[in-house]
Amino acid sequence: MNDKLKQLYKDVILKHNNDPFHYDKKENATHVLEAYNPLCGDKFKVFIEVENDAIQSIHFHGYGCAISKASTSVMVQALENQSIEDAKELCKNFLFALHHESEGHPSREDFEAFAAAREFPGRLKCASLSWDEMSRFLEG
Amino acid sequence: MQLKYKIMVDPLIIRQDFPIFRHHPNLAYLDNAATMQKPETVIQGVANFYRKENANIHRGVYQLAIEATEKYERVRHRAASLIGAPSTKNIVYTSGTTAGINLVVQSFLEKRLSKDDEVLITAMEHHANLIPWQMVCKKTGAQLVVIPMNERGELDMDAFKERLSGRTKMVAAVHISNTLGSINPVEDIVDLAHKRGVPVLIDGAQSVAHYPIDVKEMDCDFFVFSGHKVFGPTGVGILYGKEEHLSSMAPVFFGGDMIREVSFEDTIFAEHPQKFEAGTTNIAGIIGLGYAMMFLQQYNKKQIVKYLDELGGYARQELKSVKSLKIVGKAKRKSPIISFHFKNIHPHDVATFLGAENIAIRAGHHCTQPLMDIFDIPGTSRASFTFYNTFEEVDRMVKVLKEMKKFLS
Repeated sequence: MNDKLKQLYKDVILKHNNDPFHYDKKENATHVLEAYNPLCGDKFKVFIEVENDAIQSIHFHGYGCAISKASTSVMVQALENQSIEDAKELCKNFLFALHHESEGHPSREDFEAFAAAREFPGRLKCASLSWDEMSRFLEG
Repeated sequence: MQLKYKIMVDPLIIRQDFPIFRHHPNLAYLDNAATMQKPETVIQGVANFYRKENANIHRGVYQLAIEATEKYERVRHRAASLIGAPSTKNIVYTSGTTAGINLVVQSFLEKRLSKDDEVLITAMEHHANLIPWQMVCKKTGAQLVVIPMNERGELDMDAFKERLSGRTKMVAAVHISNTLGSINPVEDIVDLAHKRGVPVLIDGAQSVAHYPIDVKEMDCDFFVFSGHKVFGPTGVGILYGKEEHLSSMAPVFFGGDMIREVSFEDTIFAEHPQKFEAGTTNIAGIIGLGYAMMFLQQYNKKQIVKYLDELGGYARQELKSVKSLKIVGKAKRKSPIISFHFKNIHPHDVATFLGAENIAIRAGHHCTQPLMDIFDIPGTSRASFTFYNTFEEVDRMVKVLKEMKKFLS
């Protein structure tokens, strides 16, 4: 099998796809985002509990490919218990790591896993889907 | 002109006519339901028109313009002969299937439709043969009624009979489902609708390239297809309409080349089909479509169908050997369009694994979202074949699917 493919579907993505973090519906959350890609039908709801300018708890539920599901799971894990300002920064870091070569920009291992999507331009949107929506929400 | 002697359907020889396979020798192109690759003659035909023959049509009196007009108009003859239309007057050039359907909706149906009337479509329509009818129903207060299908993906003809009524003003049905591959009994649909005096549009986007079409025999009122799904260029297509309909329909686009006489007070339109072809059309594209239909007419459609039945049957059989793969759409009469899905693997992941090995398939809802809802799946992977595809390509696809399944579980 193709090495670039193995790189893309490596442990981080497979682990999060098979066992997503906080995968649950919390319809009563203070904020509910919908990350939807009409071209492929991937759709996730992200349930955020915001209190005192911080994300107290965050969950997600929905349907998507391994990449979009794992990326949403990584996002939920990374943003829980973060202040809004820190969450903004993390979104920027993730999206930067996704779109740019990471040399000189030490990034988290779970973020870097998605950088392999650069080899599959058709799949970049899958990796950024929930993060783009989260950025729009945080930047208000 | 019909060729008396047809060429044998041999995919290995036919492939040599397609430059794309020289540029991508390892490409297994299994996305023919989305768009087909183009033979050299089509590419040359379009290029040569711009290179040596370019002039606007119907206007100039100089030689180049006369020749361009003749060449452009000759394509109407070829289209008529390809689908068995009685005359070139029945052949309207469009920008594709979608444009053809929208023209019929706006020009033919809208004025006949009022509150509480009904338009019948099938559960397996492409969005192109759904949304235009849905919009005109919303506008007029009419109802869009859907003919259901069984779990194999076959239309429920009893339900169709029940739903046909005095309120039905139009039936629109897809000939071959672009998602399930089901071949619908269009002759029966037309027959039943006509018994009630209801006109029928058939969406032939997926059928013209492979199956013999005779609109006179089918007796449909309208038949639409796209150039790029019959080996031709994108952005061109054909609307066939019965004489009595086309002559009574008013144009919806106005402009140059569709008139007989114009004053500041009024305009007298040209006759059909010209009155539907306002402005400068995609002349080179239409000429390319002519070459595509010429390419297609070299082959005996019975032979094409026979080969594709064998190839599609083989693909379905081999796909069954992939663990936990489910084929969606098991109609008795089906084309070589095969949708499948895995319970825990998303179609886009499937397409990525195949794509990494140079195997092009489609993943998603295939512009048939309501159909996906019926099957309660968000999407499928779809392999669609034509007669330049080979059994070896099926084997390659199945091999990768097995490796992927092993890797992801």
